[in-house]
Amino acid sequence: MKGIRTLKISISGVRGVIGDSLSPSLLANFAQSFGSYVGAGSVVVGRDTRTSGEMVRHAVVAGLIATGCRVVDVGICPVPTVQLAVRNLRARGGIAITASHNPAEWNALKFIKDDGCFLSSYEAEELLRIYHQNEYSLVPSRQLRGIRYYADAIQDHIDRIIGKMGALQTRFRVAVDACNGAGACMSPQFLDAMGCDVLPLNMMPDGRFPRPPEPLPENLTALCDLVRRSGADVGFAQDADADRLAIVSEKGEPIGEDNTLALATYYVLGKTPGTVVVNLSTSKVLDDIVSMRGGKLVRSRIGEVNVTDRMKRARAVIGGEGNGGVIYPDVNFGRDSFVGMALVLHLMQDEKKSISELVGRLPHYTMLKTTRQVASDQVPQLLDKLKHSYRDKKLDLQDGIKIEMDGAWVHVRPSNTEPIVRVVAEASTKESAEQLIREVDALLK
Amino acid sequence: MSLLKISIAGVRGVVGEALAPELLIQFAQAMGTYTGGKIAVCRDSRRSGEMALASVTAGLLATGCEVINLGLCPTPSMQLYVRQNKLSGGIAVTAGHNPEEWNALKFVRSDGIYFNALQGEELLDVYHQGEFDKAKWNELKPVADQPGAAEAHVKWILQHVDVERIRRRRFKVALDCCNGACTFASQLLLDRLGCDAYPINDNVTERLPHDPNPSGGNLSQLKAVVKASRADIGFCHDADGERLGLVTDKSQPLNQEKTFALAARILLERNPGVVVTNLSTSRMIDDLAARFGGSVVRTPVGQAFVSEKMRETNAVVGGEGSGGVIVPRVQLTNDSLAVIAVLLDFMAEKHCSVSELDLELPRYFLKEKDVVLAPYQIFAALQNLRSELESQGEVVDFADGIKWDWKDGWLHIRASNTESLIRVIAEAREESRALELLDQALARLGSVAG
Repeated sequence: MKGIRTLKISISGVRGVIGDSLSPSLLANFAQSFGSYVGAGSVVVGRDTRTSGEMVRHAVVAGLIATGCRVVDVGICPVPTVQLAVRNLRARGGIAITASHNPAEWNALKFIKDDGCFLSSYEAEELLRIYHQNEYSLVPSRQLRGIRYYADAIQDHIDRIIGKMGALQTRFRVAVDACNGAGACMSPQFLDAMGCDVLPLNMMPDGRFPRPPEPLPENLTALCDLVRRSGADVGFAQDADADRLAIVSEKGEPIGEDNTLALATYYVLGKTPGTVVVNLSTSKVLDDIVSMRGGKLVRSRIGEVNVTDRMKRARAVIGGEGNGGVIYPDVNFGRDSFVGMALVLHLMQDEKKSISELVGRLPHYTMLKTTRQVASDQVPQLLDKLKHSYRDKKLDLQDGIKIEMDGAWVHVRPSNTEPIVRVVAEASTKESAEQLIREVDALLK
Repeated sequence: MSLLKISIAGVRGVVGEALAPELLIQFAQAMGTYTGGKIAVCRDSRRSGEMALASVTAGLLATGCEVINLGLCPTPSMQLYVRQNKLSGGIAVTAGHNPEEWNALKFVRSDGIYFNALQGEELLDVYHQGEFDKAKWNELKPVADQPGAAEAHVKWILQHVDVERIRRRRFKVALDCCNGACTFASQLLLDRLGCDAYPINDNVTERLPHDPNPSGGNLSQLKAVVKASRADIGFCHDADGERLGLVTDKSQPLNQEKTFALAARILLERNPGVVVTNLSTSRMIDDLAARFGGSVVRTPVGQAFVSEKMRETNAVVGGEGSGGVIVPRVQLTNDSLAVIAVLLDFMAEKHCSVSELDLELPRYFLKEKDVVLAPYQIFAALQNLRSELESQGEVVDFADGIKWDWKDGWLHIRASNTESLIRVIAEAREESRALELLDQALARLGSVAG
């Protein structure tokens, strides 16, 4: 296979590189497919701050209107805000224009159902079928409806979080880095409304990302500096569409993305014991929290929609992903960095503890993540090979292959969004995690 | 009837059948690739306008163009904006005089004139090749919303007439805006000219109230308003401000040919010179040019031909029998708003009524008929007729279809640029002669079309 593909049409939506494969025709046809799928009605459209957002938005709007939908344009706003707006405005669905944590040259469409969740894999298959078979509808001009601009989606989102969870009594100093992404349009107002003193960083919503948008520890040096210099109580970092949240402690150290969900879960289970749903690659620390605080842990396949599907069936009180995605259904049925901030701030207030103290109470694991280029035709054999080699271990085959051992695990699966195989291992020490990866690597060759 | 027409005049089709976002996007990508730079876009009030404008914007942006969005405004306002602001081109989303179900893209170059035939062909080549410029993420340009184009257009027109002279007359003007793109601009113009306006169909959120071609039965509402309000004149717009229909103070709707004839008469009297018009336009123009000491130059049918020839000949007026008039002092393109100002200015200066002006026009009878054929039959039919004539040694003009000129009349047979049909037009001093010419042509066409 030559080169890396720049277009990925999958159940996660359509994702590609601007100026390369993600053409306006393709985007309009996808929007038409979605309009045909949900039927003529209102469809919410929102976008992150990427420079290509305006072009993509126009293509999407054209496609939706052509199928007889009324477009409700909520402008530049976080993805969770779009999801909430779909529910609030009783729309048939929504399209969020964002490539979330991918670099600035990427963009993508994410498809939202009337309940505010992304399309499930089954529903996404149906959408793809409409697209591939060109079965999208076109309505005559007398049935066309136009665009409605709705400017209050962000305020609605803030109101909902504060309404459900309340503002804070303690005044925290909070540093927040929006990566010049969609969070820039909401984070300062939101934290102000929560009752915090806000120290903003990268709040120009112009899509020129000053750091890679994925909120990994190595991308957060500026935030860490800000926290240290300003003596902030906590630092929050968002990705470009503000669904994922990473946390920097008051010492100016990133606590690791997995601990975002860990702290949020710790808080929620303390208030409302119940089921927690996380994906297969989420840290073992969640198992420990559930046994500490009481509740049940369910693991799902990777992908936000797989988590939310399981959460619905299990009536979970909280769920999410180890990448900093917190889903708290009481507010919003999707990953929501603002909900994550609110939960963590409430935890700090209730426990009267600093972030480093709160993290210090949790067991410590080391998680290592790598990717391997594997030709697509090799993937099934490789998975079989792994299955055979580890046949005497406890295996979870929901999504790729996860090998579980005492105090450690390793998970190998093909990516949904990129032409690679992901390998994730977690153990109590770095050495044992590295050892697990080496073992798997040897089998992948 | 064919629901889509892709030609050197652009792309035109029925929304929901043939005119889908993908096609519009790709035409805009072709334009962006062909022209590049800053491009103005605008639309008329059709329901499909938002969809088509969004498609066009997406296509232009993807090629790296900067888009200046003028929103809902007359096409001539956009054309003026392109020229005055030195943009590289423009796209108007409008099907002009076609019914509500249709929409189309019209392509404008940096001087505000429509693409000529060669440019239209080149654009089509780019479209068919499908290899468009692709801007990378950091090369994409923004969309700038610029809602003031119609107002700037009105201001510009006011600089070319004697505003005080017109204001003193306090004309009563009946106005049918066709719920179209001129709704705001023409009321603003009349207000500035101190007219009492009686507007109808002035809601752009409504559908087009009637077929937007401002002629024949489409003038009947306006006729009633002129009568009821005892207006001095009635103006009827098409959907995008290119064609103008007139109703006299005697509440008499005028034949569409007379809009141009009246404007030509006025501008020739002011400044005798060259008049440019197409081969299908009435002989009234030749008589008027003779009366005022001017001359007539004829071009193939299509605004771009007329505009370009006007510039070449430094013409004093140009236009077509369809009700489109070019006032070159304002700009070299059809402009209904400019025509309104010129007519009112002349009526104010000469203290004459439009019915008096009409009486002075030469009398001709113009008859036309469309022969609808499949797209692939049209050129064969014309070619067969042409070869037949050549073999018989008849003296005819082949510049655009086939045109015969006789002392007592003329006959023109040509393929439409915008629809899948052949137009047959005959004109004579006597009505019976015009009908006779028309029948002959139809019979001839019938025999060659099989």
